[in-house]
Amino acid sequence: MDLVTVNGLSKRYGGIVALSEATFGARAGEVHALLGENGAGKSTFIQILSGAVQHDGGSILVDGRDYRPANPDAAQARGIAAVFQELSLIPDLSVEQNIWFRHEPRTLLRTVNRKEMRRKTLALLEKYNFPALRPDQELRRLTLAERQIVEIAKGLAKDTRILILDEATSALPAREAEWLLKLTRQLAAEGRLVIFISHRMAEVRAIADRLTIFRNGSTVAAHEANAVSDNEIVTQMIGRHLDRLYPERVATATDSIALSVKGVSSGSRLSGVDFALREGEVLGVGGLQGHGQRELFQALFGATRASGTIELWGKPVSIGNPRQALTGKDGIALVPEDRRGQGLLLTKSVRENLTLSVIKRFTENGLLSRQKEAALVKEMVDFLRIKAGTPEQLAGTLSGGNQQKVIFGKMLLTQARVLLLYDPTRGVDVGTKGEIFQLMRDLASKGYAILFHSSDMPELVHVADRVLVMRNGRIAATLEGDHISEEEILRAAMLETKAA
Amino acid sequence: MSAFLARNRLIVLAYAGMVVLLLVTALFSPGFLSVSNMRSTVVLAAFVGIVALGQTFVIIGGGIDLSVPWVLNSAAIIMALLCGGQDLPLVWVMPLLLAGGAFIGLVNGIGVARFGVPPIIMTLATNVILQGLILVLTGGSPTPSAPALIQFLSVGRIGGFPVIALIWLALTLVATLLLSKAAFGRHLYALGTSATVAEFSGVPTARTTVLTYVISGLTAAFAGMLLTGYSGQAYLGMGDAYLFTSIAAVAIGGASILGGSGHYLGTVAGAMVLTILTGLLPALNLSSGALLIVYGAVILLTVSVGSETFAGLGGRLRRKEG
Repeated sequence: MDLVTVNGLSKRYGGIVALSEATFGARAGEVHALLGENGAGKSTFIQILSGAVQHDGGSILVDGRDYRPANPDAAQARGIAAVFQELSLIPDLSVEQNIWFRHEPRTLLRTVNRKEMRRKTLALLEKYNFPALRPDQELRRLTLAERQIVEIAKGLAKDTRILILDEATSALPAREAEWLLKLTRQLAAEGRLVIFISHRMAEVRAIADRLTIFRNGSTVAAHEANAVSDNEIVTQMIGRHLDRLYPERVATATDSIALSVKGVSSGSRLSGVDFALREGEVLGVGGLQGHGQRELFQALFGATRASGTIELWGKPVSIGNPRQALTGKDGIALVPEDRRGQGLLLTKSVRENLTLSVIKRFTENGLLSRQKEAALVKEMVDFLRIKAGTPEQLAGTLSGGNQQKVIFGKMLLTQARVLLLYDPTRGVDVGTKGEIFQLMRDLASKGYAILFHSSDMPELVHVADRVLVMRNGRIAATLEGDHISEEEILRAAMLETKAA
Repeated sequence: MSAFLARNRLIVLAYAGMVVLLLVTALFSPGFLSVSNMRSTVVLAAFVGIVALGQTFVIIGGGIDLSVPWVLNSAAIIMALLCGGQDLPLVWVMPLLLAGGAFIGLVNGIGVARFGVPPIIMTLATNVILQGLILVLTGGSPTPSAPALIQFLSVGRIGGFPVIALIWLALTLVATLLLSKAAFGRHLYALGTSATVAEFSGVPTARTTVLTYVISGLTAAFAGMLLTGYSGQAYLGMGDAYLFTSIAAVAIGGASILGGSGHYLGTVAGAMVLTILTGLLPALNLSSGALLIVYGAVILLTVSVGSETFAGLGGRLRRKEG
């Protein structure tokens, strides 16, 4: 018998149907993948399962009993926990305090039993072979990837029979992602049900026993994983045949140098980086996570202090803050790592987000012209095919892919022609990914210069014209032409690390 | 139109609350709705409204200004001292004191934006320092009476309308333009919503922050001079009441105390609500202690009715019905 049975599940937000008549069934002891583009209804589905929102129609049975959690605590009481992309951790607490938050082991006097907490934390970390985490580390000092791992530990800390992993691998570097996949199999072998969302087909292939496909707010098919081809899956996800994810790589780079970087250093993470980015070029930045990629992008954008020389279009510039980076046609714009924390005003409209960086341009005698603004917003929404009810829809209510498009639109409106894209496809559905790669190519052919970091190595291999591999805050190798492959990137990223 | 209502639900709610309160007050105290009484209510509300103008900008930007009482009080006392009851010195005294208020705002803003001092600490400190300076300056002795021109600005009338109401109207217009029709407004809402996102979007976050405190310093100093005209003289402690009322007016007007939302048009309703309340409560024949308790409780209730959480609850209830 299925552990979870869902029938006719529906959810509306005002006039917007987020989920309609979804069906789902999953057994204990299996890894069940949910596939679908962003906005297809997966997120709503798991939010309902985890008690974060309540459904309006349909039924959920867990163990044959009706299941309708009023909140995540109620879901937890039935043994269901979710690890979300949007991290729920508290920066001021330690790793272990976060893991046991509100479920701390107590002493007789009801105070927190620190010894017991430490013991249980270490036992948990050891049982599941967690990558290096110290229980007493303060969370704010951890990287995004490490936080994601803490989040997973938190989900496992309670008696969880059904664990939902929402894009849990997307923030993880290759080695940790592999660990997570192993962990997922281990949990299934222990008789738990793991519901797994990922936009990486290879991962789904590696671990899923069964999969359910979502499209347009409903479920369209469920398959045994080994009985269906990648092509069939993608076709069912997007409802049409997708020719190819990666656009053809046309060489559009000219001899003109758009961005020249010499000896750029920042703190201990970035020590003397040199490279040149040409007009019309997509230059990839790869390497293991935490080897200076983030610091490089932030330094070029003026978000952290850095020393060294930066030239834009042949002119030396001094970029002390993002405002200076974004100034004028010769500026430099960034799609930041943290979409929700750095990129978007979630509680403001698509329109206000799009025009935030360039709002001055719509003023005449100091007063805003709403017509001018609306016209340009409409143009950008159409150009990027941003799926929003109206430009007044709040950015936080859009799907991940559409949120990312809004950030792209905001960046393009600045008219900067040197673009820094930090992991722009993280947590973005496959359809939008394809659109983003195509957009990058189109922009390159129009003379934009693009610096592109991705935590998903195949993206670098298939999209970038050249790839810089970073190691210990330096450029360890520059790969070109046929030398761009996952093996070469890994080799350059790891070889000396081993020796050291 | 319905989109407008949805977006500005809390502001509309504040005005609805104001009307209800007016009717209730009229019930308890007949004659409250008379022209002369409404006129004096608007005059009193104008002082709260003008102080709360700056406070609105600061709060939308994610800060708070606790220095308004003594910026107001300092401007009042120094004006009285420098003018000595004469109109002529106002020509230079008024610009000087407005500049002084702006300067205090500048200090607050730089402390917050450049040195990262929490707004509560920074503005509380300037407030106390100003209080000390004024005590040293006056030695506690009474000041000369207010110049006639200032009295005209605060209690005079033009064509039946109180001058100060016209001033308030003009300031409301300016504030509305700044918030709704200027790039500064957009930057301000972005700053209050997320300082990080604003910074990453190229918003001049430091300059915007400083400007909100400068505006607050300006309006507090201006209100101080006008209030001197209203009372006929300046006295120690005359600004104390405006700390609470300026913040409460903003909150009643629908702004989130955490920043990023709200509008001065809401604050205007908030100032009216607070002033009508002070008119209603004496009509209930309560002791002055009981008055304060009811006053505080009613404000607490009004603010929570208007707050986002309560509105969210209402939204949830509606969805369940539907």
